[in-house]
Amino acid sequence: MNNPSDSTTSVGRRQFLKTSALASGGILLAPSIMKAQSSPNGKINLAILGYGKQGEVLTTSMLEIENPPFHIVAVCDIWKNSIGKCRSALRKVSPELKWYFDCEELIAAKDELDLDAVIIATPDFWHARHTNACLKAGLHVYCEKMMAKTPDEARSMVHTAKETGQLLQIGHQRRSNPRYLHAYYNLTKRAELMGRFTTANGQWNRSAKPFREVNPRIAVEQDVLEKNGFENMEQFLNWRWFRDLSGGPISDLGSHQIDIFNWFFDALPKSVMASGGHDYYPDRQWYDNVMAIYEYDTPNGPARAFYQTLATTGAGGGYYEYFMGDQGALRMSENPAFTKMYREASAPSWDDWASKGFIRKEEAAEAKVQTKVDVRESAPPDAYEIPIVLDKKPHTPHLENFFAAIKDSNVKLNSDGEHTFKSEMAIFRVNEAVAARKTLEFTKEDFEV
Amino acid sequence: MTKKLISIIAVAALSVSAFAAHHGGKKALEIEFPPPFLIGTPVQVNLPHLEAPGTPRPTIMVPEGTTNLADGKEVTSSDDFPIIGGLDYITDGDKESEEGYFVELAPGTQWIQLDLESTSTIYGVAIWHFHTQKRAYHDVIVQISDDDSFESGVTTVFNNDHDNSSGFGKGTDKAYLETNEGKLVDAKASKGRYVRIYGAGNTSNEMNHFVEVEVFGTQ
Repeated sequence: MNNPSDSTTSVGRRQFLKTSALASGGILLAPSIMKAQSSPNGKINLAILGYGKQGEVLTTSMLEIENPPFHIVAVCDIWKNSIGKCRSALRKVSPELKWYFDCEELIAAKDELDLDAVIIATPDFWHARHTNACLKAGLHVYCEKMMAKTPDEARSMVHTAKETGQLLQIGHQRRSNPRYLHAYYNLTKRAELMGRFTTANGQWNRSAKPFREVNPRIAVEQDVLEKNGFENMEQFLNWRWFRDLSGGPISDLGSHQIDIFNWFFDALPKSVMASGGHDYYPDRQWYDNVMAIYEYDTPNGPARAFYQTLATTGAGGGYYEYFMGDQGALRMSENPAFTKMYREASAPSWDDWASKGFIRKEEAAEAKVQTKVDVRESAPPDAYEIPIVLDKKPHTPHLENFFAAIKDSNVKLNSDGEHTFKSEMAIFRVNEAVAARKTLEFTKEDFEV
Repeated sequence: MTKKLISIIAVAALSVSAFAAHHGGKKALEIEFPPPFLIGTPVQVNLPHLEAPGTPRPTIMVPEGTTNLADGKEVTSSDDFPIIGGLDYITDGDKESEEGYFVELAPGTQWIQLDLESTSTIYGVAIWHFHTQKRAYHDVIVQISDDDSFESGVTTVFNNDHDNSSGFGKGTDKAYLETNEGKLVDAKASKGRYVRIYGAGNTSNEMNHFVEVEVFGTQ
């Protein structure tokens, strides 16, 4: 652990907040050099491609940005119902919103729309085609995770971004969350409060629920469904469970958190073993319960991580990524209620860091009466809170980072295509490991773009 | 989905019949409800005139021959071109609240109007705005008239616009949380051909929604 009084590490509360802001892409620091935008008002003209559940989440997140540097000019979706929902959500801010039912029509209208960027929230199996087409049309792209259905498709997105010089941000929004940035840059890297990370575990469980249905009278026309790769409306509404369209729950939920393993470990995994099955939904194509174990060679030594996503229960203590080191542990979550730090009894005091506002000591709970104690039991660690709470929707800072990077070439994307591709490779191979029922070794080539 | 549709049709068929023990030549109006299905994230509802959840519905005594006069009738609105759904959803018998079952009208004070095609004696009006999330709709006002412009001969049978923000006078009825049971309004045997229902957004957003309206009466 570093000493907070060392000149090189001494940072007051104001300074560490500034550090977090810098790490998050300078959002809080007004950029001095702004790129000229094509729109007359200097705003980024934006289109939303795909207005399903996630498109809606991203849009409502954008709507809470004060003095937005963008103007949403168009929406594209194959479903009239989704177009309607988007138009409704944007009645006030974009009364002149244009809408399209085909991505090619949207791209063909880019000059008419004076379009600068696009937010892509279509199903995973469309990401690469949509992203590549938009990048080639000269548009910056924010694309939801997973990047693509296959590693090669994801690679193609990185190549296209490089060739075109356009920005490609992937929707791993924790990378822009100020609490995560503080935990990584200040608590882990600067203060080294957890010492050497040796293990991590993470999970995201969701209660069992039936397939989504809608009134058939609002269904997408069958020929439109088929043209866009869906056999029927059931596939369209529940695409995450179909093998040709997505990677299943481990891809949907695990992608967020396994990416955080890689980030906080400063490493990519060297192997993965996994187990999964159709434990509850025998008729669904993807595994409903998946458990994976990774091995890492981190800069500080070996580490291993366990991850589970259970689509059959909401129990298990929420969704989080829990890192354990020899001096302390850090449990991270988008939900502050699940976030906590614990100091090992033998570790140096964290009081100085607490006094500087980096962490906040939790009031000691009254000792529980226990009639029998295992004498070999380790002393319970002190609990601390991370005093950084995001007062925005979880996706908002990541979108702000994207817009800041468009406006200012000095601002770096927090989840650019190339780095995200390497991180997502760890996720791509989980389903393969489940099927193989053995440990898979990652090769250098796996992570090469 | 097929099973679900059959269920919906069965519910719709039942909903137009009033059945209960006879009482003085009349019987208590009963309504069929869709299944409860709450999926939305709850939003805090803070209204000074909100009635307590679970407040019993009024018991409305109706004569033999009382039916749902609104079934399949034409609906017009202050918002002629709803962005989501259609006005015909309001009288189609489907009371579920998921996608494809509700119509969304523009923000601000808006109205829908049902044409019963002839002057009718109306005993009860049942309204389902939207019931996949606990929310309350603002300024719910129910009026009955023989004048399709509602400029004359208007009877107001429900008004919970407690602060007169919609401008039709201050109402004394309570605001209420939406559930699958909707809201049953006692129309007190008012006479008229048209039923107009106002609203001004809800506690979750500015929009106005309607899943179904049933008008129980005789012609």
